[in-house]
Amino acid sequence: MNLLEVHQLCKTYGSGDNAVKALKNVSFSVPKGEYVAIVGESGSGKSTLLNMIGALDTPTSGKVMIDGKNIFSMNDRKLTLFRRRNIGFIFQAFNLVPELTVEQNIIFPLLLDYQKPNRKYLEELLAVLNLKERRNHLPSQLSGGQQQRVAIGRALITRPSLILADEPTGNLDSQNSREVIALLKESSKKYEQTIIMITHNRSIAQAADRVLQVSDGVLSDFGRCRE
Amino acid sequence: MRSYLSLVPISAKVHRRQNRMTLLCIIFAVFMVTAVFSMAEMGMRMEQARLMEKHGNLSFLDLIGSAMGQSLLGIAVVLFLLILLAGVLMISSSINSSVAQRTKFFGMMRCIGMSRQQIIRFVRLEALNWCKAAIPIGLAGGVVITWGLCAVLRFLVGKEFSTIPLFGVSLFGIICGIFVGIITVLIAASSPAKRASKVSPVTAVSGNAEDKKTIHHSASGRFVRIETALGIHHAVSSKKNLILMTGSFALSIILFLSFSVMIRFVNYLMPQSAAASDLDISSGNSSKAISADLIEKIQAMPGVKVVYGRRSDFDVSAVWQGKTSYSDSLDLISYDDFDLKCLKTDGVLKSGSDLSKVYGDSRYVLATSDQDSPWKIGDHIQIGEESLEIAGLLKYDPFSSNGLTEGKMTLITSSETFVRLTGTTEYSLVMIQLTSDATDENVRAIQLAVGDEYSFHDQREQRTAGTYAAFVFCVYSFLAIIALVTVLNIINSLSMSVSARIKQYGAMRAVGMDERQLIKMIAVEAFTYAFWGCAAGVIVGLPLNKWLYEILITEHFPYALWHLPLTSLIVILLMVFFAAASAVYGPAKRIRSMAVTAAINEL
Repeated sequence: MNLLEVHQLCKTYGSGDNAVKALKNVSFSVPKGEYVAIVGESGSGKSTLLNMIGALDTPTSGKVMIDGKNIFSMNDRKLTLFRRRNIGFIFQAFNLVPELTVEQNIIFPLLLDYQKPNRKYLEELLAVLNLKERRNHLPSQLSGGQQQRVAIGRALITRPSLILADEPTGNLDSQNSREVIALLKESSKKYEQTIIMITHNRSIAQAADRVLQVSDGVLSDFGRCRE
Repeated sequence: MRSYLSLVPISAKVHRRQNRMTLLCIIFAVFMVTAVFSMAEMGMRMEQARLMEKHGNLSFLDLIGSAMGQSLLGIAVVLFLLILLAGVLMISSSINSSVAQRTKFFGMMRCIGMSRQQIIRFVRLEALNWCKAAIPIGLAGGVVITWGLCAVLRFLVGKEFSTIPLFGVSLFGIICGIFVGIITVLIAASSPAKRASKVSPVTAVSGNAEDKKTIHHSASGRFVRIETALGIHHAVSSKKNLILMTGSFALSIILFLSFSVMIRFVNYLMPQSAAASDLDISSGNSSKAISADLIEKIQAMPGVKVVYGRRSDFDVSAVWQGKTSYSDSLDLISYDDFDLKCLKTDGVLKSGSDLSKVYGDSRYVLATSDQDSPWKIGDHIQIGEESLEIAGLLKYDPFSSNGLTEGKMTLITSSETFVRLTGTTEYSLVMIQLTSDATDENVRAIQLAVGDEYSFHDQREQRTAGTYAAFVFCVYSFLAIIALVTVLNIINSLSMSVSARIKQYGAMRAVGMDERQLIKMIAVEAFTYAFWGCAAGVIVGLPLNKWLYEILITEHFPYALWHLPLTSLIVILLMVFFAAASAVYGPAKRIRSMAVTAAINEL
């Protein structure tokens, strides 16, 4: 069963002579639990595609279905709730809340929902992310790798069905990059989560179940790596 | 480009929108100082003209040395210092936010080789660059408003202000305006300039580096919702910003509380009674009392609005609550219904008084009082066979020179009660209020009708309503400007604070914070500043209010006692609430139209 279905997605910035087509009729689907890497040159439209899938931006035309729901048919409030509960985001620049501790940053989406975290799951996450000792530290007291692990924890805490990662290893050294990717893969397997990740790193892309390439707004499916 | 400093006007052009409020703050500071000093000089010129007319030769320096000159200058200097302080606080908070917002820019400048000293020079010059536009506008505004105020005083208030110069330009006011503009900006820019110079070059290339220095404690969301906790934390995490914001709120409150004493002072100095008369007729030295027929006759004459009279009987033997030792005689004065009604209109009755019982032929009276007088509402007074009850107390004794009773009770009765008690129907004093279109001929006709047997006093020149209105107008205008500057400052600072965190807000939106939560977070930040501002303003302002009240009012009007200025406090709370709410409006609108992706990608 497909978790994500993208139909004829187009995004045009500007109009008339200044119009720039960032995405041109992009269509693809991703089954539940698959780990997909999106590669492409800078400015090719990868981030635009990821932002559309995450409902952070609206397309000029086309549809994005997550779990059978057309996300662009929802109003802003419903969409925010949907994003909060069903999609986990990981950014290159971590984008943690600087005023919150590691633990508070991880449970942030739950706090926004006025819910209490499942302590057992939180402890498990902290252990997997190797952040138990750092749970009361502020982001500014952590290394880049540790900050990205916190961001991963934040993306996993609501057990979303879809995780979107925009160059999560872009600011990390090779050791930290390997650890972060291993964590994401482990989580994908353990909780049956779908991961869509933009990366420039060839070896990371090769480790994915499937690789999509975006070039000048056109998507090509490189197929499943293990096949 | 001749040097790196050529960047300053380019940067000013790019950040025009963000700098608009800072410009307004400078304009207001220059405007107020120019207006205050120009008005002070115009007042002095008017006094000089008056004294020249009276004494012949008088130099301007003699005038500055005179008592009036000294007091005018004193007031202007105090206002100058207050405006300077308000200006420094407000502009400083603006520049501070503007620097905080451009940490990366300064980091980049350091990266490409700008020295610390050059950064300091850059920020100072950037601030001075604002003066180029703000000072002329402020000066022009100050001069024009001075002309307007002088015209109002000359043509609407008239009388003692009829010689005030109309289109006078005060060089002194202009110099002070320029001086306050430049000094305020230089003082305000010094600390942000140093802060900018300390930005590390690494900030330009790293992601969260700028947060390292400012955040030491985490926001606690244990007792409140996460957006509330973050809003409070945003307000209190930067001590300097909190002090500046609290300070500007507090300063406005302190000024408000101080100026409200000035209004009270003028109320005591020039009491504006609804019963103030234009013409008085008294029995004078002659023992002949005024007959009630004269009142009826005058009432029918043209130009007369209302005629009312008072009868009096002094040193009447009386027994108060069965005790004769405290005061064995009192004064009895009758008020006509209009006069009685005015007591309530003027608010001179103490709380608990019931004026309605006094009207007509009754057993109820009003009594004068002060803080030491032992009689109270409900007490009984025996006059001859009659037992009277005190239905209300006046806050002071309007018949004594200092407002104190000195232990002597004066009872105010209705006209009918007085006639019943004393048998006297004739008046000792008759007062006349004229219609607004009454002419001098009307007054002469009344004087003729009164005849020579009574004293006739034309009080029209003594009325202070115009001067009072002019003074109250000036004080309220000043307060309104202060309030406006506070509101603008809060709006500006909050808007800048939001701009500085826009990327963070974008990320929060991405991970699931909704618009309502985001706006609530900003509102909590605004109301946290407002809360601390109120607390600091009231803690400092109330003792100052009491002190000013005592030296300005109680010292000269001993019956006047300081009370908690509840009305002022309510007005302040409403003003602060309005300021905080309007500060949230702009950012809320921006957040509603914010594209999450654009916010995340913003540098």
